[in-house]
Amino acid sequence: MVKIEDLKRINLLRNFPDHLFEKIANEANLSIFGADTKLITAKEQGDTFFMLIMGQVAIKRELTPEIDIILDNIQSGSSFGTSALIKGSIANYTAVCQEPCEVITLSGGRMKQLFKENHELAYYMMLGVAKQYKKYLDTRAQMIMKTLDEHPEFKEEINDIENLTLVI
Amino acid sequence: MVEKDILKKIVFLKDLPDHILEKVGAIAQLEIFDEEHILFRQNQEQTLLYMLVSGKVFLNSRSAQGKSFTLDQVSAGRAFGVSALFGESSSTFTAVCARTSKIITISGEQMRRLFEQDYEIGHILMLKVVDIFRSRMKMHTHQFLHSLARHPEII
Repeated sequence: MVKIEDLKRINLLRNFPDHLFEKIANEANLSIFGADTKLITAKEQGDTFFMLIMGQVAIKRELTPEIDIILDNIQSGSSFGTSALIKGSIANYTAVCQEPCEVITLSGGRMKQLFKENHELAYYMMLGVAKQYKKYLDTRAQMIMKTLDEHPEFKEEINDIENLTLVI
Repeated sequence: MVEKDILKKIVFLKDLPDHILEKVGAIAQLEIFDEEHILFRQNQEQTLLYMLVSGKVFLNSRSAQGKSFTLDQVSAGRAFGVSALFGESSSTFTAVCARTSKIITISGEQMRRLFEQDYEIGHILMLKVVDIFRSRMKMHTHQFLHSLARHPEII
């Protein structure tokens, strides 16, 4: 169980109706993880959804066995581990604490069960996740636009930009 | 009002049960837009969800230096302007009809009201949006890593 005030610090839960905070608070746990703790492993089926209260988490992918690429640094207020909320999903990245982190965790299995019983909760959670993905896709599109501004010759090489255009 | 047979041509909606399509159809409009008609502009508040029945739409984006790029060509069966479903969200692109286009439009506000009246519909459709966005991110990350592996000097 966590405090509703802590949940209200999470961006994904912004605009959640008050009565749903209580449901999430009952299911959630507050944990502290040390620096270098691996919270999610790429290509594995995770069962935990994470909401970062304090600290910083690196989102990584392996480029070669020697080199990891940091795709993003998650800051307080952000969430990760969406695959735990979606049936049959596996993690697309590894998540590692960059420093001691205070994190709210939700069991993916329990949340999926709750989604079947409570569509209102399921809708608001998925709306939050969709908004978060839109933000990521927008950021990537802006990065590509900036690159094209500086290096227009790269246009031919960027063959998947349409994957960022929110067309469904 | 739009008949469900037309809605079933849209990839985003085609697997939905008839009772959901009927509710969506009741708040949808079918409109024809001329070539070069601007449906919405970059950075403007997104109020409508668009679903292309026939024709073609370009999604353009203007960079900080003012250059305009066509990032995507929307073909029939696809939906765009998804930000309208989120509320308080501005559009990332400018959408222009590349030829005369038949388009289903739905008010984002009415769609959100429908979701709030029937959360099951909201859950099903928002899960579809998440699934699509998630697979796009995955595909794009894969492409990005592939490019870095080919050009290790960038690292």
